[in-house]
Amino acid sequence: MTRYAMVVDLDRCQGCRGCMTACKVENNTVEGNFWMYVFRFEQGSFPDTEMSFMPRPCQHCHNAPCVKVCPVGARFHREDHIVLTDADRCIGCRYCELACPYGVNYFNWQPPDEGQYSIVDWKDPDLEPVTNGLIPPYKNPDLDELWGDEQRRTAGGGHAKGIMEKCTFCVQRVEKGLDPACVDTCPTDALVFGDVENPDTPISHYLKENRTWQLLEEAGTKPGVYYVGGTRPSSELKEIERPKATV
Amino acid sequence: MSVDTRVERKLPQGVGRLRFGWLVFFAVAFVVFLVGLAAYFYQMSSGMIVTGMRSTGTMGGATWGLYIVMVEYFIGVSIAGVVLVAFAKVFNIGSLLPISRLAVLLTITSLVIGVLGVALDLGAPFRGFINMLLYARPQSPFFGTLMLVAVGVLFTSLVYLYLDGRKDAATIARIPSGLRWFHKLWAAGYGDTEPERERHRRVMFWLSIGLVPLVLVALSTEGLVFGIQVGRPGWYGSLQGPDFIVLAAASGLANLIVLAAIIRRVRGAEVVIGHTVFRWLGSLLLAATAAALYFQIVKTFTLLYATPGSERLISDALLSGPYAWIFWSSLTLMIISMILLVLQAARRAWSVPVLVAASVAVSTAAVAERYLTVIPSQTHGMLLPYEPGSYFPTWVEFAVVAGLFGLGAILIGGFMKVFPIIPLDFDTREVRTDA
Repeated sequence: MTRYAMVVDLDRCQGCRGCMTACKVENNTVEGNFWMYVFRFEQGSFPDTEMSFMPRPCQHCHNAPCVKVCPVGARFHREDHIVLTDADRCIGCRYCELACPYGVNYFNWQPPDEGQYSIVDWKDPDLEPVTNGLIPPYKNPDLDELWGDEQRRTAGGGHAKGIMEKCTFCVQRVEKGLDPACVDTCPTDALVFGDVENPDTPISHYLKENRTWQLLEEAGTKPGVYYVGGTRPSSELKEIERPKATV
Repeated sequence: MSVDTRVERKLPQGVGRLRFGWLVFFAVAFVVFLVGLAAYFYQMSSGMIVTGMRSTGTMGGATWGLYIVMVEYFIGVSIAGVVLVAFAKVFNIGSLLPISRLAVLLTITSLVIGVLGVALDLGAPFRGFINMLLYARPQSPFFGTLMLVAVGVLFTSLVYLYLDGRKDAATIARIPSGLRWFHKLWAAGYGDTEPERERHRRVMFWLSIGLVPLVLVALSTEGLVFGIQVGRPGWYGSLQGPDFIVLAAASGLANLIVLAAIIRRVRGAEVVIGHTVFRWLGSLLLAATAAALYFQIVKTFTLLYATPGSERLISDALLSGPYAWIFWSSLTLMIISMILLVLQAARRAWSVPVLVAASVAVSTAAVAERYLTVIPSQTHGMLLPYEPGSYFPTWVEFAVVAGLFGLGAILIGGFMKVFPIIPLDFDTREVRTDA
């Protein structure tokens, strides 16, 4: 039986946030929604300070509190342990967000087209020949597809207004045998993804060769994301900056 | 007593007669309701971005805001009416029966508003209604909120109101009026014969006995919505359920007292809804407020001793942080109310205006308490080191909530014009006049 998981090697992570960008490009998330987020921490006081980084995707918990509280079963576990949101079933109650101790859920507060990054005015007539009338100019068509044995719209579903979304481990890529976009993009191979039930996969070797820890183990959520090295988050750590992108 | 056979000239208690004062009241309530409705349509078309709510974590917001605060409040208010009437029926406390219909009506109205409030908070409300029927998961406390409360308690309360009103419906169905069809429909052939009375008495008794556990279970799930969340400091704990019920009882009784005082005034029913009723309500409010205050004080002491760590985030935010003014105001209001109630109990003289003042204080404190339960654990209760967040409702949320109050006023005010709000067994004034 396949069990997908991710390893985040904090000793390799340099805080470039390339994974965040790759996630946004792949999943077309709106401004302010970070399915993958990289904390940049500072510890101590100047001049004795230390910086550390911690990527935070959805933890795809085996004992996921978000799955437990969902009133309609829109948040569910796949057989391969990926935790997904059925965009056709979610009613937008946001209970999953409250139940999650990791803060990985993002609600679509507005129509997604309006929330897209407005670096330029996409409706500008001068841009029309370039965008060919498509607004926003690119949208990953895979997100609207039905995936898995369940055939449910789980890859973000085109991000409809008023429903919940979160990291999917790029289910649309995993189904094609690819790694999630963040893993593929990481320049230092700090992210490793694969089937931990298969002893021959790189992630299984990684887990065997390294000591790992998990986020908020005391919450009993049994995350599917394992951390190697680095600094565990604590109240001593302060975020250097908070995301400016808002909705 | 059989159905009153005396011929009356008009329907009792102002039923069917629209006076200027009532029309002004109704028009104001209707306008407020329409403003709320317009605000909700604006929210539906623009998305919930027009509210002050935002995602927790990197967005630093509260994903449940004023709507859920008011849902908790309204559903809490609903407990008092029906439990009080059940209590009065089972223990045969005749003194409380003049306000029994008002009490059940308060339960129904606050439940309707509370459940509507949940729907208003959904990102996809239409899909919500369908999917809650198709895919409901009883394991989620949200199921308790919508299904047990909406279907169970609301339906049972409606049955209660219906059965309890059949005799009065049969009585006033004899009076020629434009509402006769409605009263006939309600009476449904009731003739107040001995076997019918006995059957009604038996059904009401068992319904009363069944209602109390149903209400307790359904409303405890309101507390469980928060109490079972291990990942959110300030929420996890077995006391959320009982705490919810106790504050619900206090706020419900407070609302009932205010409503009873208003009805007594507008219907000139100083004798029918007399001092015995208010003595009962005052004593019960005193007991409920004492219990709620006890919970609040215990909670305050626990917060003071919160150890450094996640729980400390919440205790700091409540005791000295951005929520301190709400926390201490709420506690002060509860203490003031308690003093007012104890003084009256000690003097064995229950003044209606003082009781209303105490009730308004309790009710306001209850809204504040609900706010403090729902919001701080979202903005300041993240276990990962996100920056603390903030939440303030926008005009849209205030307008929608005002609209819910407007709807409540419409339902109660409207009911009073189609059916006697005081059971006729206790309000025989107009019958005497006409006899």
